Amino acid sequence: MVRPIPPKIDRATSLRYMGAAGWQPDAASAALLDRAEEKLRQTATPRAVWRRLPRVVLPLENRGGDLARHLQGCDEVLVLVATLGSEVDTLLRRLELTDIALAASADAMASVLLEQVCDELEQELRTGLAEEHRYLTGRFAPGYGDCPLELNDEISLAADSVRGAGVAVTAQHLLVPRKSTTALLGIADHPVTGTLAGCSTCHLRETCVFRKRGTTCFSQK
Amino acid sequence: MKCEREELPVQIESIFERRRFVFLDGGMGTQLQQRGLQPGQKPELAALEMPEILTAIHADYAAAGADLLLANTFGANARKLAGTGYSVAQVVEASLACARRGAASTGALVGLDIGPLGELLAPAGTLPFTDAYAAFAEIVEAGVAAGADFVFLETMTDLYELKAAILAAKEHSHLPVFVSMSFESRGRTFTGCTVESYGVTAAGLGADAIGINCSLGPAEILPFAQRLCRTVPAGIPVFVKPNAGLPNPDGSYNLDAAEFAREMQAYATIGVSMVGGCCGTTPEYIARLRAVFGALAPAQKVPVRRSCLCTPVRFVEVDGITVVGERINPTGKKRLQQALREGDSAYPCTQAVAQAEAGAQVLDVNAGLPGIDEAATLERLVTDLQAVTDLPLELDSSNPEALSRALRVYNGKPIVNSVNGEQKTLDTILPLCKKYGAAVVGLTMDEQGIPTSAEGRFAIAQKIVAAATAAGIPKEDIYIDCLTLTASAQQEGAVQTLEALRRCKQELGVRTILGVSNISFGLPCRGYLNTTFLTMAMAAGLDLAIMNPNTPEMMAAVRAYRVLTAQDPQSRDYVAAYADVQIQTQQVSKTAVVESPSAAAGDALFEAVRRGLKAEAHEAARQALSTREPLDVVNASLIPALDVVGDGFEKGTIFLPQLLQAATAAQAAFEVVKEKIAAQGQPQTAGKGKIVVATVKGDVHDIGKNIVRVILENYGYDVLDLGRDVPPERVVEAVRTTGARLVGLSALMTTTVPNMKATIDALHQAKLPCQVWVGGAVLTPGFAKEIGADFYCKDAKASADLAKQILG
Repeated sequence: MVRPIPPKIDRATSLRYMGAAGWQPDAASAALLDRAEEKLRQTATPRAVWRRLPRVVLPLENRGGDLARHLQGCDEVLVLVATLGSEVDTLLRRLELTDIALAASADAMASVLLEQVCDELEQELRTGLAEEHRYLTGRFAPGYGDCPLELNDEISLAADSVRGAGVAVTAQHLLVPRKSTTALLGIADHPVTGTLAGCSTCHLRETCVFRKRGTTCFSQK
Repeated sequence: MKCEREELPVQIESIFERRRFVFLDGGMGTQLQQRGLQPGQKPELAALEMPEILTAIHADYAAAGADLLLANTFGANARKLAGTGYSVAQVVEASLACARRGAASTGALVGLDIGPLGELLAPAGTLPFTDAYAAFAEIVEAGVAAGADFVFLETMTDLYELKAAILAAKEHSHLPVFVSMSFESRGRTFTGCTVESYGVTAAGLGADAIGINCSLGPAEILPFAQRLCRTVPAGIPVFVKPNAGLPNPDGSYNLDAAEFAREMQAYATIGVSMVGGCCGTTPEYIARLRAVFGALAPAQKVPVRRSCLCTPVRFVEVDGITVVGERINPTGKKRLQQALREGDSAYPCTQAVAQAEAGAQVLDVNAGLPGIDEAATLERLVTDLQAVTDLPLELDSSNPEALSRALRVYNGKPIVNSVNGEQKTLDTILPLCKKYGAAVVGLTMDEQGIPTSAEGRFAIAQKIVAAATAAGIPKEDIYIDCLTLTASAQQEGAVQTLEALRRCKQELGVRTILGVSNISFGLPCRGYLNTTFLTMAMAAGLDLAIMNPNTPEMMAAVRAYRVLTAQDPQSRDYVAAYADVQIQTQQVSKTAVVESPSAAAGDALFEAVRRGLKAEAHEAARQALSTREPLDVVNASLIPALDVVGDGFEKGTIFLPQLLQAATAAQAAFEVVKEKIAAQGQPQTAGKGKIVVATVKGDVHDIGKNIVRVILENYGYDVLDLGRDVPPERVVEAVRTTGARLVGLSALMTTTVPNMKATIDALHQAKLPCQVWVGGAVLTPGFAKEIGADFYCKDAKASADLAKQILG
């Protein structure tokens, strides 16, 4: 299902993805980000598919402690796959050849745009569930913490993402188009938040620049 | 419009006669779910796990009046069946048997149904075209063995995957092939494929019936079906299999059988001749369709005959002057020659993007260079180029093997350049164009050479058109090249060329093409002659101009011509191109003393790069090179500026966007430096040593590697970028041929790091004297050591520092 493009791609987060958290961009860099955003808006066709399933239908056991913690107390799950579409991949490949600064900006902003699309959708779903007094956790994706990327295969299948959004999983369990994401959200009869994977099981913990600065990638801004 | 219902059983031939509407069946997946398929259970295995239910579904569709039943083989491919314990052949045989039993009472025909493989083909994904072809071939062979009456390729969203499937079906069976794609409400598939690109490509590849299914309901598909009817040639039926409307939040669909049939009525008059349903439709829906359409004869389909070329996302109708970019041709271009020899795809890809931005609508691609494998090179060029450009390609070769390989991997409808009047080229190359649905260029020359007179060239054109027509190539796909001769050698030739062109166009009703720039060879100020000749040719009716779109005055002539011949409504394109342009022409004597540029030119370059100003850096480099040696410009201006920026980045006073803007500016300056070096006839390098970089097999994330490449090039290293998803053998081969002493590998995901280790192992086994550095999100210094890398670099700056340390 095609999703709307949010009115503004969040600049602060985009800069954070480029390793420039908190930086006030100079005029040239701000113009660069403007151009990147314009190109993305022309090219992206955000789509998402999701399906609500009894938790037992998916093979979610023995997929690491982080996922188990995230889904604690939930008897249903929501599988979600979202993408900006393959034309964004082509745009990025083209920009990488001609203007690496624009390419890197568009790449980071595409990731932020995808998150924003997911945020909006998550909010809608949360509101819908609230009407039946059900509660939703946040989004958790394979590859976080100790949760294996292999789980992408099952999520894609369960959400029928190839037919529903044009998102497929490669033999190495990566998603294509590149700017795509999967997510698992728990559903429970009482308020739940889920838990973020945290740093202890993260693959990036040794080289993480956020940790070096005494912060984390998931803390705000 | 009424006609008698034919007696059953149907014969497959009668399906294509369009005397009455042909009825396809309805949804299968939704029927299986309704009749007991459990969540988590694989629908592909229904024939083995619930054969009675499956057979009953088929029988119900047959009883409802479906002429064609699709076996439950949509997902019966090796990938989806992995781990089930069943082979493709087993599932296909069992599924077709159920369908055949279901068809028994009415004699309906039974088709092998094939859906997408569930993995995206490269370049969108990592599945090679040849692997997709092999997977489809396996299913088709199983279907033939199991006695299918036809092959039905459906719910495709990627034109490239569809092409692999059509080729597999055509080359592994003699069965009729139905093809069907799914479109979103914007009129494109997920991958951006247009209805027109789909229609002409599928027809060109020999599809026997072409349709649209799934995704949307009858009302939403209607406009796309109308476009498809206009696109698909006469003689090929068009069909639709819409969903039962749009999905409701609970997964059901919003049209009941009566509403569905009512919405479908609109199809009776647009030229569609086969109807059925997809998700959410049931036997009742088909029975209703039968009631509505059973007494009707399909309306005549009225296709528009038009000359066109396409890629999935770009449909180029050749109707008026169309620019073919000529820059990807190694003849006389040293940098491209080097790139082709080394297998460097970045350079030709950059050329493609630049020509597209300058206004090219088609790109000529030529890999004819002595000493290289033309067939392999042309095939790779096509693959690489279509990953970055959506312009259709002109495959420029007379080598049948090169053309055959390039045509096979091309995604869309290309044009082949060329055949000529020699019987041998006509006999070998025209069948290739026909098989792959390509347009073709015919050169008006033969064994005796190029006739001097227009009459002689016209006669050869007649022969070519006759041969192409006999080979099954329609007139609108034939482009005659009356050949541009060099005015300095044969001044009378220009008029003959134009006269022949005019006659071909008027008397033969074909399209025309010319390589324009050849006119001026050997004369000064070639732009004057090129532009004038181009203008004359356009007036004579030229359709395709092979030219350099980066030449402003030639593009200006094209845009001006379009205004003056009313092909540019409201002069919109012209104004868009020139509203902000001021023309400055100046003729200067080549022998006069050039005024020395300002002494600050070197500093200007330093400043422009430091501040990340691309255009200024380009101009400053040009200025600096008029008085200084290229290497001095690099070492005294470019690199110091990059160092300042790099140091700032390391200290945290300069941020990535600024670093990369400086890199882009330096790149622009470097282009000028390289041109200067090439013009001086020196080897094509700034001389700091070769480096090979690649993103390893299986990994598609390569922005980091691309940043590294740009920064290393900025520092004057000769970087061969092998791209992404690169197998270990290719890295070994590249290191061997280039003699690179430093190899950079990147991987972003945990699942692809093993391929990084495999690549390092392969390099070690080949005993190549190179060192390897690695980078990417999930790598650490410790991990790098563990997989046998010599170095770990955390970013592009560190990579440049490492290169300096190793290569100097």
